[in-house]
Amino acid sequence: MQEPELHDLSDDADYAASQQHGSASMMRSNSGKHSSSSEHDGAEVIYLKDNVTIHPTQFASERISGRLKLIKQGSSLFMTWIPYKGQNSNARLTERDRNLYTIRAVPLTEVRSIRRHTPALGWQYIIVVLSTGLAFPPLYFYNGGVKEFLATIKQHVFIVRSADDANVFLVNDFQNPLQRTLSSLELPRALSVASGQSTSVSVGETSSDENQERTSGDVYEGSISSSQYNERQRQRVHDPARDLSIQVLEKFSLVTKFARETTSQLFRDNHSNGYGAIERRSNNQSPIDYPQKASSDSNKVPDKSPVPPDSLEFDKVSLVWGKPRQAPLGSDEWKTFLDYEGRIMDSEALRKRIFYGGVEHELRKEVWPFLLGYHAYDSTEAEREYLRAVKKSEFETIKRQWQSISPEQAKRFTKFRERKGLIEKDVVRTDRSLSFYDGDDNPNVNLLRDILLTYSFYNFDLGYCQGMSDLLSPILFVMEDESDTFWCFVSLMERLGPNFNRDQNGMHSQLFAITKLVELLDIPLHNHFTQHDCLNYFFCFRWVLIQFKREFEFDKTMRLWEVLWAHYPSEHLHLYVCVAILKRHRSKIIGEQMDFDTLLKFINELSGHIDLDAVVRDAEALCICAGENGAACIPPGTPPSLPVDDDGLLLYPQQELDDVL
Amino acid sequence: MASRRRMLLKVIILGDSGVGKTSLMNQYVNRKFSNQYKATIGADFLTKEVQFEDRLFTLQIWDTAGQERFQSLGVAFYRGADCCVLVYDVNVMKSFENLNNWREEFLIQASPSDPENFPFVVLGNKIDVDGGNSRVVSEKKAKAWCASKGNIPYFETSAKEGFNVDDAFQCIAKNALKNEPEEEMYLPDTIDVAGGGRQQRSTGCEC
Repeated sequence: MQEPELHDLSDDADYAASQQHGSASMMRSNSGKHSSSSEHDGAEVIYLKDNVTIHPTQFASERISGRLKLIKQGSSLFMTWIPYKGQNSNARLTERDRNLYTIRAVPLTEVRSIRRHTPALGWQYIIVVLSTGLAFPPLYFYNGGVKEFLATIKQHVFIVRSADDANVFLVNDFQNPLQRTLSSLELPRALSVASGQSTSVSVGETSSDENQERTSGDVYEGSISSSQYNERQRQRVHDPARDLSIQVLEKFSLVTKFARETTSQLFRDNHSNGYGAIERRSNNQSPIDYPQKASSDSNKVPDKSPVPPDSLEFDKVSLVWGKPRQAPLGSDEWKTFLDYEGRIMDSEALRKRIFYGGVEHELRKEVWPFLLGYHAYDSTEAEREYLRAVKKSEFETIKRQWQSISPEQAKRFTKFRERKGLIEKDVVRTDRSLSFYDGDDNPNVNLLRDILLTYSFYNFDLGYCQGMSDLLSPILFVMEDESDTFWCFVSLMERLGPNFNRDQNGMHSQLFAITKLVELLDIPLHNHFTQHDCLNYFFCFRWVLIQFKREFEFDKTMRLWEVLWAHYPSEHLHLYVCVAILKRHRSKIIGEQMDFDTLLKFINELSGHIDLDAVVRDAEALCICAGENGAACIPPGTPPSLPVDDDGLLLYPQQELDDVL
Repeated sequence: MASRRRMLLKVIILGDSGVGKTSLMNQYVNRKFSNQYKATIGADFLTKEVQFEDRLFTLQIWDTAGQERFQSLGVAFYRGADCCVLVYDVNVMKSFENLNNWREEFLIQASPSDPENFPFVVLGNKIDVDGGNSRVVSEKKAKAWCASKGNIPYFETSAKEGFNVDDAFQCIAKNALKNEPEEEMYLPDTIDVAGGGRQQRSTGCEC
C-alpha cells in the first residue's frame, strides 16, 4: 500500500484531510482486471457526465478527462469513471498511466463519503472516500453536474449530510460504530458480483508491476513533491489562517508559483536525459507552429508538458513585438484565395491574412460567413448558394413558429411574452446612435428583434440573454439579409453560447483562464490581484461576455471580431487581448494599489480609450511568448472552442437542481 | 482585502431588466437622463458625496445587470453592501412581482450579518409614462408589500423627470448609514504587505 504517490495535491486541503482518514495511499484500480465488469447485462446507466477530469499533477496539460457514470444493476449502484481514449497524446502520460486512474464499477456500498466542492469560480469537484479510508483523486466536473450526481445517488442509496460539514455526504456511514462495522463487513460481500473487490485488491495487485514500469518522469516528480507537501499540509491542517488561504486557493485551483518551480526544478534535475530533453526540444520549435495545432481540435489537451517559464523574464525582456498590422483584405486580393469554383484554397493563409489586417468593409459580407463557420472553406460558390436557399426556408419556418402565436395564445404563454418583452427592451437600446439603427420605427431594430426571437425558438433552451443583441447588431449591419444574419449569428452562438448559460460555466472557464494567463505572463500583476481580492476577474466580465463590443467604437469592434474569428494564432486570442490590456495599465493598477472596486471602475472607463492595433499586437506577442504554457492555462471546451460533445445531454442546463439534498 | 473605507456607503440597485436602474443612478448622481442607455452588462457604479448631520460620506451606488441569469455574479458585487434598493416599473406587473425574488436573492448572496434588519428601499419608477395611464401597480399595493416586509421605505419616482429621486436617495443614504455597525468587525489582515495602504480606513469616527 505504501507506494509512491502520483498525485501532487499540495493545495488541496480536502485531499489532505481525506488522507488522514486512513491510509495515506491513493487508491487505483487496474483497468485490465475488471474490464468486463462495468457494463453487465441488465445494467442501467442512470447518470452520465462527460468531461469529468482528474488533475494528476498541477500541470494543466496532464489533466485526464473522462466520463463519469452511475450504473444501476438490480438493487446495486456502481460508479465508474473511464478516461477518454486517445484524446490525450501527452508524452508523459502514457495510456497505462491513464488507466491507473480508471475507476471501474466501484459499488456505492464501498463508499464512505463524498465531499463536494462548489466554488463560485473554477470547477466543481468531488472527492470520493472509500470505506477503507482510501480516496480517489478529486473529480473535477468541467460541465457542472455535481448536484445531479448526488441527487441521483440519493435516489438509490442511503446518503446523509454530515453533521460536521454540510458539504460532506455520508454513504453507509452510520452513527453507531457497531452498525458501521457491520455494514462495511456485510454489504460489500453481498455485492461482490461486479468487482466488489476492486478497492483493496487492485492496489495490492498492481503495485508491483507498476513500480517496475514507473520510469516516466511524472511519477518521480509527483512522488517527491507530493510527499513534501503532504508533510507540510499535515502541519497546516488546523491553522485557521491557512484555511482562509486554502479557500482562496481552492476557489481558483491555484498552484503557487513556488510549487510549480519546485516541481519543474526537480523534474529538470532528475530527468535531463529523459522527457525533459524532449520537452526542451519541443519548446524550441517555432512558436508560430504550435497554436494552430492547439486550435485545430478544441478537445485536445496540449500534448507537450510545460516547463513553467520564469514569468519575471517576460518583464525584463521586452516582448517580442507582434508583427505590424497590414491594410485590410481587399476584393482583388480576396479573389486570389479562391479557386475557379469559389473554394478557398488555403484557409489557413486566409485566416492569417485576416488576422494581420482585417477585411475591407464591403468584403465582410462575403468573408464573415466563412470566419463564423456558416460556410465551409472548401465549399464551392454553387454549394453556398444552394445552402443559402435551403437555410432561408428553414429560417422562415422557425420564424413562423413565433409569428403564428396569436395574442390570445400569448396570454397563456408567459415564457414567450417575457422573452419577447426582454428582447424588445434590449433592441431599442442597442447601438441606437448608429444611423443604421437610429430613429423611431427603424426597420433594422425590428430585424434585430425578429432574429433574436427566432433564435430563441431555434435554441429554446438557451433562449435570449442580455448581451446577445450586442453580438447580433454588427452581424446584421454587415450581412443585411435577415436569413444570412440569423445563420451567421447561430454559428457565432455555437461558440459563444456557453457565455450565456444559466450556470455561467462558459464565463467562469474564460475568467479562470485569464487568471492563469496573468499568473503565467505577469506575476507581479497576478500578485497584486491576489492581494487585492481581485482574482475572480469579474472586471473582465463585459469584455469577455460580448467580445469587447462595448469597449470599442462600432467599426473597430468589427475589425477586432474578424481578427479574433480568424483563430490565428490562437482560438483564444481574446483572452490574450484581456491580458494585453491589463498589462498596458499594469503600472497604474499596481502603483495606485487599485482594489476590486477601483479596478472595475477603471476598466469600465477604459471603454473607448483602447488602442486596438496596439492591443492586438501585444496579444499576439503574449500568445507567442506563452506558447504551450499559455494554451495549458485554458481549460478544454473554453469558449470559443466548440462545446465538447455531450452525447445528447443538455447543452444548456435549464437550472441547477436546487438543494436536492 | 477585507477592509472597507469607513466613510463609504455601498448601495446596490436591483430589479428587473429595463425598470430604470441605470437611469435612476444617473439622474441622482449626474442629473442627467438619456433615452439611449444600453443594457448594463456585468456591473458598474457611480459615487456621490453626501452630507449627513455634518458628516461627509461617499455614496457608492452599484448598478447591476437586470437579467436573472446574471444573478450568480452577485456574490462579488453585493458583498459589503449597506443598503439595497429594489426597483420596479409601475407599468409592468411582473417587475413588481419579482421584487420578492430580488430581495431574497440579495439576502442569500450578500449574506448580511443581520438579514432581518438589513435596510431595503423600494422604488416604483416610471410614474411619468403615459401620464400614469398605463400604470398597473397601485401605490397602495406596493406599500402593502413594503409593510409586509418589515416596513421598507417606499418611493414613487420618475428618473426621466427627476421626480422624487433626490428624496429617495436621501432616504437610501440614511438607511445605509444606519446599517454601519458601531464597531467594524473584520477578519484580521494577516497579509498586509501593502504597508500604509490602509490610511483611508479612518478610525476616528464612530456612528
